[in-house]
Amino acid sequence: MVSLLRNQKVHNALLQVLYVGSIAAMVLAGIVIARRNLADQGITSGFDFLFKSTGWDVNFSLLPATANDPYWWYFLIGIINTLFLGSVGLILATIVGTIVGLARTSSNDLARLLGRTYVDIFRNIPLILQVFFWYAIITHLPTPRSAHEAWGFLLTSRGLYIPFPNVGSAAFAAATVAVIAAIVLPAWLGRTSRLAQPIGQRHTIQFAAAAAALACSAIILALGRLPDTPLLDFPALQGLNLRGGLRIPPEFATLAIAIAIYGGSYIAEIVRGGFKSVGTGQVEAALSLGLSPWRVFTLVRLPLALRAMLPILANQYVWLMKATTMGIAVGLTDFFMIVALTINHSGQTLEAIGILMAGFLAINLSLAAVFNRINKAIALKGNQLRG
Amino acid sequence: MISTNSTGEPALRIENLDKYYGTFHALRGINLSVKRGEKIVVCGPSGSGKSTMIRCINRLEQHNGGRIVVLGTELNDDVGNIDEIRREVGMVFQHFNLFPHMTVLENCVISSMIVRKQPRAQAEATARRYLEKVRIPEQALKYPSQLSGGQQQRVAIARALCMQPQIMLFDEPTSALDPEMVSEVLDVMVTLASEGMTMICVTHEMGFARRVADRVLFMDGGEILEEAPPDEFFTSSATSAPDNSCRRCWAIDWKQRSECVTPHAFRHLHD
Repeated sequence: MVSLLRNQKVHNALLQVLYVGSIAAMVLAGIVIARRNLADQGITSGFDFLFKSTGWDVNFSLLPATANDPYWWYFLIGIINTLFLGSVGLILATIVGTIVGLARTSSNDLARLLGRTYVDIFRNIPLILQVFFWYAIITHLPTPRSAHEAWGFLLTSRGLYIPFPNVGSAAFAAATVAVIAAIVLPAWLGRTSRLAQPIGQRHTIQFAAAAAALACSAIILALGRLPDTPLLDFPALQGLNLRGGLRIPPEFATLAIAIAIYGGSYIAEIVRGGFKSVGTGQVEAALSLGLSPWRVFTLVRLPLALRAMLPILANQYVWLMKATTMGIAVGLTDFFMIVALTINHSGQTLEAIGILMAGFLAINLSLAAVFNRINKAIALKGNQLRG
Repeated sequence: MISTNSTGEPALRIENLDKYYGTFHALRGINLSVKRGEKIVVCGPSGSGKSTMIRCINRLEQHNGGRIVVLGTELNDDVGNIDEIRREVGMVFQHFNLFPHMTVLENCVISSMIVRKQPRAQAEATARRYLEKVRIPEQALKYPSQLSGGQQQRVAIARALCMQPQIMLFDEPTSALDPEMVSEVLDVMVTLASEGMTMICVTHEMGFARRVADRVLFMDGGEILEEAPPDEFFTSSATSAPDNSCRRCWAIDWKQRSECVTPHAFRHLHD
């Protein structure tokens, strides 16, 4: 018996059993206690509430919503709001981060100083403080009657108004998908091994795919146009309020800006690190071959920097996706806020939080999976023993 | 000290070249003239300015004084001149510096396609010809890190040759290689020399210098201390190095290395 316990394999197996067993016991105890407490308070657990109507409104939704809609529809609205805010925030943060990051690696002293100041300021102030700061600024913009106007864009305390095509929402969504396809398709065609054509022909195929997708989106927009309206709808003052165009609510604008500025400061550092990691040797070799500095950038520095940046960038994106939950601070009905309201109104705390956690897990795991896939596709071949 | 000028413009003319790193005077009034087809080997202890000198020739380092005229074009702040010179001057580095995200073939075609505006088919044909010349045609579709050091350096030579340069610069091309790979790279360089390429090589391979060099330069402290055909350089025990002990020792030590087939055995001697 003692000799059996001294066997390394038995020993390890026993520890594993003990470990898993104690975790299972804890979870089980938690569930039992929760059920008894809920029963004591007369709360029925279960997911039946999902099919009851909510009785309250959401202030921001990409889907039609009324107070009669059931909870599951509201959860869907929340997830889509979070995804939308996340994508807008991530794209803006990436643009800001790239510009600031490049400024930080530039040889221009002023650009470097500005970039560094930016990062120092926005990386070191808590996100929630920045959210409140932008919200205060946006809600103190002039009223619609004295709005700032430029090229059909209006800045007011009721939100940002932008010109918008007069098309149905389904047509607009389809056109958006087509535009995304125009970006993703050529990139995929350039990498996939399923097309074994030489590079020259590949470029033609890529170009054709992008053109076809863009043409598709143009056709969809033309067909989906609302009858008897101009192509673009400009916002204009009517009475005391603004009519026409697309209104971006102050809450959404606040969060998009906050995530872009805050995330941008982190991404700037990632971009800077990526470019610093590119060996001077490769750059010198490219220069000595007679390539122009711009070509050296696009052919050597950028592709190599991107490979160094991607894994850290994926991490940052997952982080920023979670930062969308700041929506509750200014009252944007993102996934988190809808779950919070659901808990208040229905009392189904455990279920709602379970759905929230599962939703964020699904979003961020998919994001990570996409990045892992891209990472793998462009990873440098071989054993990396360079030099 | 100045080599005899043949008729016509030399491939390379350097006059009174000065280079500073901050306050450090890295090159002190270098004068050098290289005829077309001439092979120059530059040797000397580390920190003597050998690499700095050849890196000035294609403007990887900016010189602070004097003139550099490459193939009749003066190297100055004119971006057009710099581009023109870089097109005609190939360079091979100590650490190969291949582009790790491109295949061997892509490494070779990229510059001729973009700088020389050649169609891909033509650029690939040229690249394959040079890969054959450096004896690794079968590695064309591999990535640099899948190759050995010697193979990588031969790819780097092929890559530079694909631009069909008139002058080749070698910056210690075998110093980062394992001893058994040195000869495969040197063999390619010997072949290149026999075909009449104008070459300037910074190297510690004295056997190579003896075999192919028209002239051997010995540098120390940012100056060319001695310049002679290899026979003379390696046989005369005298050196024109100033009689202050250390430099003189170095010069004599370097000459003795030519007796050795693999100077690597003497690695411990320098620094």
